Amino acid sequence: MNLFRTFTILSTVLTYLLIFIGGMVRVSGAGMGCPDWPRCFGRWIPPTSLDQLPDYIDPAKFNIVLAWIEYCNRLFGALVGLTIAITLYLGIKYYSQFPRIKWTLIIAFFLTLFEGWLGAVLVDTILNPITITLHLFFALIIVMLLLYASQEAYYLDNPKAEKKSKYPHNMQLLFFIMALALLVEVVLGTEIRGGLEMMRKENPMIESQFLLKMLGPFKYAHSILGFLITILSLFIWNGLVRKSSNPTPLMVQTSTAIVLLIFVQIISGEILVFLEVIPLIQLFHLWIASWILGLVSVQYVAWQKSSLNYE
Amino acid sequence: MNKFVYYFLLVIIILALGANWVIEKANSSYDFPLLRPVPEFSFYNQYGKSFSDQDLKQKITILDFMFTSCTGPCPLMSLNMYKLYQRFDDVKEVQFVSITVDPQVDDKNKLSEYADLIGVNDERWQFLWSDISSIKDLKKNGFMLFSDNLPEGHAIKFALIDQGGNIRKYYDGTDDASQEILRKDIAKLVRDLRS
Repeated sequence: MNLFRTFTILSTVLTYLLIFIGGMVRVSGAGMGCPDWPRCFGRWIPPTSLDQLPDYIDPAKFNIVLAWIEYCNRLFGALVGLTIAITLYLGIKYYSQFPRIKWTLIIAFFLTLFEGWLGAVLVDTILNPITITLHLFFALIIVMLLLYASQEAYYLDNPKAEKKSKYPHNMQLLFFIMALALLVEVVLGTEIRGGLEMMRKENPMIESQFLLKMLGPFKYAHSILGFLITILSLFIWNGLVRKSSNPTPLMVQTSTAIVLLIFVQIISGEILVFLEVIPLIQLFHLWIASWILGLVSVQYVAWQKSSLNYE
Repeated sequence: MNKFVYYFLLVIIILALGANWVIEKANSSYDFPLLRPVPEFSFYNQYGKSFSDQDLKQKITILDFMFTSCTGPCPLMSLNMYKLYQRFDDVKEVQFVSITVDPQVDDKNKLSEYADLIGVNDERWQFLWSDISSIKDLKKNGFMLFSDNLPEGHAIKFALIDQGGNIRKYYDGTDDASQEILRKDIAKLVRDLRS
């Protein structure tokens, strides 16, 4: 595997980890751990004691644990930005004749800078709910772009990968609906999370499960769309695994993993709604959603690659 | 392939354990120290009834210093305190105390009018008055807040006082992010009190 492919995969994996860390910031309530940006309490290394705080910051805001959780997210974000920058450099250097790869990485890189800026806006607006959702949304777009670049680079090295496989043709619309449904589902999910937060603000002593009961139609929309996504994923699995000839192991594994992960999501979602709002489950519920989106994009690109052979 | 799945599951388990540790660490990081007990005092509220340090016991109290004719930061402080007053309206353990630093103007009637004006309709929020020297003494020596040049030069801090009458933490009364932290801290002290 050449250096460029290594870096496309590395930046994808690191971005997934960053989404995980971002989710951790959210569930541990560390979003305002550093009241300023990009520095933390006016320092590049977060303070360890109260006397290191500058005068203009209220000492009540100081919580060393939350400061470090938030700061890790920023440091890791900077690392991801650097990795994507290197990937972009290698892409332009060696693959400039492949505009798909080049432009995908250019867009991913600029979106990463935009994400950093959104992080600053989040601190400025004291975690505005819409900005939090956008912050996640663009992270998902970035990770899908990186996956796409990795996959295209893989096909450049292995042009015969989808040569023998033959999948049903009329799946374009199905993929489109699936991707759209998944993105909407993630946004609805963050709305539930944000709604819970708003309600906790007004009813600070009520436990999360009761707040969830008070929460309006969003949670039903999330469940109904989840049901639709389950059916769609089975439909796509049937097309790509059962009705196809010579599907590649990549396609079979991806399709099966999507179906399995959706069932994991149903179970974890039901636990959150009916049993208890457990932060760790919230975190994985969100993270697995980002995997599903990535896997669907892999599935789609493989399907498209195979269709090109028959045109 | 099997090997890959095992490694993958191992990574997931490590991440889950790590995340769990971080979340627990974050949950237990909200502790705040006992700063000092509120000293003895005996003032009067807007109904003319007496209010002393004994009335802080078995309650979670949010306390500030203000005066009714103040046009500087006080309206914002009162607004922020009113938000908390509303949010904790079903929590009988939480009370609010505003002490005037301008007792010559702010007598019982004036404070009562002010309470009506901002929408305070029960004893969960009391407005206290006394003679200026006692107020100054409590503010300066009890709460360690600067008290030169009263009434204009009063502090904009909210003090959080626990059920034992101890000052636990101070918050900027005009800053939204600090108010968010105060709200969480009150909820935590109430949970501690109930458990």
